[in-house]
Amino acid sequence: MKDRLTAALKASRAEYTEIRIEHTWSSAVTFRGSRLESASASEDQGGFVRVLDRGCGWGIAAFTSLDRLPAMVERARELSRAVRLDEPIERAAVAPVTADALLELDGDVRGVALGEKKRVLEGYNGEMLAVPGVVDTQASYHDEVTEYWYANSEGTLLHELRPEVTLSGTAIARRNGTIEKGLESVGLRRGWNAVHDHAAGFREAARRAAALLDAPTVKGGTYPVVLDNEMAGVFIHEAFGHLSEADFVYENPQAREMMTLGRRFGRAVLNVGDNGAAPGLRGTLPYDDEGTPTQDTPLIRDGILVGRLHSRETAAKLGERPTGNARAISYRHPPIVRMTNTYIANGQGSFEDLIRDISLGVYACSAFGGQTVLENFSFTAAYGHMIRDGHLAELVKDVVLAGNLFQTLDRIEHIGGDFCWNQMGGGCGKGGQFPLPVTEGAPHVRIEAALVGGDVPA
Amino acid sequence: MIERLIDAARARADAADAQWHRAERTSVAFESGRLKACGIAEDAGINLRVLHQGRVGIAGTTATEPGDLLDRALASAALGETVPLVFPPAAPLPHVPTYSRATAEASLDQLTAIGAELVGRVARAGCQVNVSVDREVMETRLVNTAGVDAGYPGAAISVSVDLTRFAGDDVLMVYDGYTGIELPQAADLDALVTSIERRFTPALRLAKPPEGALPVVFTPAGLSAILLPLEQALSGKAVLQGISPLADKVGRRLFDERFSIVDDPLVAGRVSSRPVDDEGVPSRTVPLIENGVVRRFVYDLETAARAGTTSTGHGIRGTFSKPRIGFSNLIVGNRNGATETSFGGGLASGLRDGLIVDDLIGVGQGNVIGGAFSHPVALAYRVQDSEITGRVKEAAVAGNVYELLKRIGGFGNDGRWLGSRWSASLLLEGVSVARR
Repeated sequence: MKDRLTAALKASRAEYTEIRIEHTWSSAVTFRGSRLESASASEDQGGFVRVLDRGCGWGIAAFTSLDRLPAMVERARELSRAVRLDEPIERAAVAPVTADALLELDGDVRGVALGEKKRVLEGYNGEMLAVPGVVDTQASYHDEVTEYWYANSEGTLLHELRPEVTLSGTAIARRNGTIEKGLESVGLRRGWNAVHDHAAGFREAARRAAALLDAPTVKGGTYPVVLDNEMAGVFIHEAFGHLSEADFVYENPQAREMMTLGRRFGRAVLNVGDNGAAPGLRGTLPYDDEGTPTQDTPLIRDGILVGRLHSRETAAKLGERPTGNARAISYRHPPIVRMTNTYIANGQGSFEDLIRDISLGVYACSAFGGQTVLENFSFTAAYGHMIRDGHLAELVKDVVLAGNLFQTLDRIEHIGGDFCWNQMGGGCGKGGQFPLPVTEGAPHVRIEAALVGGDVPA
Repeated sequence: MIERLIDAARARADAADAQWHRAERTSVAFESGRLKACGIAEDAGINLRVLHQGRVGIAGTTATEPGDLLDRALASAALGETVPLVFPPAAPLPHVPTYSRATAEASLDQLTAIGAELVGRVARAGCQVNVSVDREVMETRLVNTAGVDAGYPGAAISVSVDLTRFAGDDVLMVYDGYTGIELPQAADLDALVTSIERRFTPALRLAKPPEGALPVVFTPAGLSAILLPLEQALSGKAVLQGISPLADKVGRRLFDERFSIVDDPLVAGRVSSRPVDDEGVPSRTVPLIENGVVRRFVYDLETAARAGTTSTGHGIRGTFSKPRIGFSNLIVGNRNGATETSFGGGLASGLRDGLIVDDLIGVGQGNVIGGAFSHPVALAYRVQDSEITGRVKEAAVAGNVYELLKRIGGFGNDGRWLGSRWSASLLLEGVSVARR
């Protein structure tokens, strides 16, 4: 394969050429209730060529027939030459690298029989079904190993094996007309060795679904809100992370003004970053899909905006350094600026310290989902607790946080010292590319005041 | 390759079907008003399903040779549960146009010219405009061991435009698009430009949100939150799982008598139209809700077999997973001539105080199928004394679609296609609107 890549690059007449080849083996098992929905193994392979000719725009070709590689290099050049630019596209410098950067497979899933995978998932599904009150479940297992080659005309040549496993479960509890859900999700850039010992998490999700049947809906209003590690991580990804992706600002002077480095985004306690090099996490890779090494990139330091996430193109345009954040979900897509493992850095103190002086507040836990549209966001917690007189009180449901992200970031007043990474499955969507493996991490975070509402009073 | 695969499967399994799909997409992208990238993407793959000893197995590949595809499908079947699945026999297919030579053969220059024209017409000072044009040419073939050997060509073009304005920390984004089998004509591009303009200009002014139980106009785009619970509830799979609130309501009038939903795969010129579904079942028009009365649910082969009914021709499949239920074209309300005169389809006229909702945040989160929704607005406008008085930012709308659709305040005259859904704006009364 390396010889084919080298030959194709050599034959290219363009100023810059890059090629990715991917071969993915994956398997998936799904249960619905006690019934197996499907168990199957798939094979996906294809290539991607991107070319930049002098004074021209990007020419792109993606394909599943690998014997078409030389033709696709030529086709991409024609497409590049169809785009004439007054201001040429520059690429920030990245040192060429040759590496066999094989990630630890941690138990190669390709060597494990489909029946074994079914058995593991059946066990977790059974944990959920055994909880009283649970009437239905969904459970799924997914694994893959991608053999990956990347080469460009500047001399970079990479060969990697990229593993991934995800497990997820939804427990549905029902009584009369009321339906409640509990969610468990595990996602890691690891292998078969990482799929065991998750029974407690599935059981806990099912118990929570049953417990929510008796929980009251949170009373809408503005409260001091404490986010658990998972909610805080999802919040920083959705509400801030996307704005720090440089393709959001690099062509737009007004957006750039909004995201000027040096602008205050929060109080001095707030430190945020994105670390694609942290070991074993879902968003971790040694190099991004332009061959740039991943790194820990500070985004907010002591409340001040200090950095952003880049591809080579956005870095060149803004005169900054590439950060290793150009990623594609597969050979079918071009690399675009994406997050990896995004985090709020540790502060000080325990969870108890955070809630001690709250007379009435809400503790929002475990994210069901979230969406940001421009500067407005809405996040749904899986469950919550009231905080009363400095103590954790009753379980509540339908905890939805909504607000303006600039105001809300500025109201983060206390950050705990109990940082941990989320190890959930799922993924991030942008520009038609979903799901990209990412994760987040955070300690407990306290927001001075945030709007919480399930029902909107008529 | 697909015939050889089915022949091989016939020898080792009781029955089988396979779908081969090939697509070539050509894309041009304008970023901040200038042409930035051109691309092509070729994708071909095969999805094989076998039925062996009563059990169903699935496997998929994008490799040019099938390799161990049949072995993988049989291994999948060995684990599978038993399903009384029967593959359909060959049958005459309805005629439906799915291909346009003009679209399939349009040159890169033609595609670029469409984008350049839109950039020129939509651009304005201090704003960013992005336009993309994607043309896809497809081929689909489906073969099974019961005698089906069906195939059809496809062509599609989609054009999307978004216009973004930053003013301090206020971000305004307006977008719309065209999709169809035929290349957009001058009238289609005019409609797109007008649509962007009608959303953008009144949004430049901000209005204070109203509060209370109010009349709200949901535009065809804004209707997604209202229709999603019904789409989920009309799936035969939801009925089978016992989670569809409509399950035992067939034949009953639950909605306004002017409210209907039809799934129609036979509409000429639409990208989701097709003569046959992805499991070999001939396409037909299926009324789901008729004059407010629940008529029927949609099924694929497997859910139909489990439910003891027949497939309605709604099986869709990709290269890698087993077929599942999917709608084709959904037509909401009565598809008659649209005479669009204004944003909101004329429904704002006569409103003393209310909203026009074009986009909401968080649609699809939470317990959708129950019908209750609560969403902050992403793009909404206040209407006072029949006039749009500005964009509303800090507001949320909530309600229950089963309650709201019992009485519809009015249907707009702005009926249109949005992707694979046709609808006009709807005026719903008593939607709760809250400020935040």
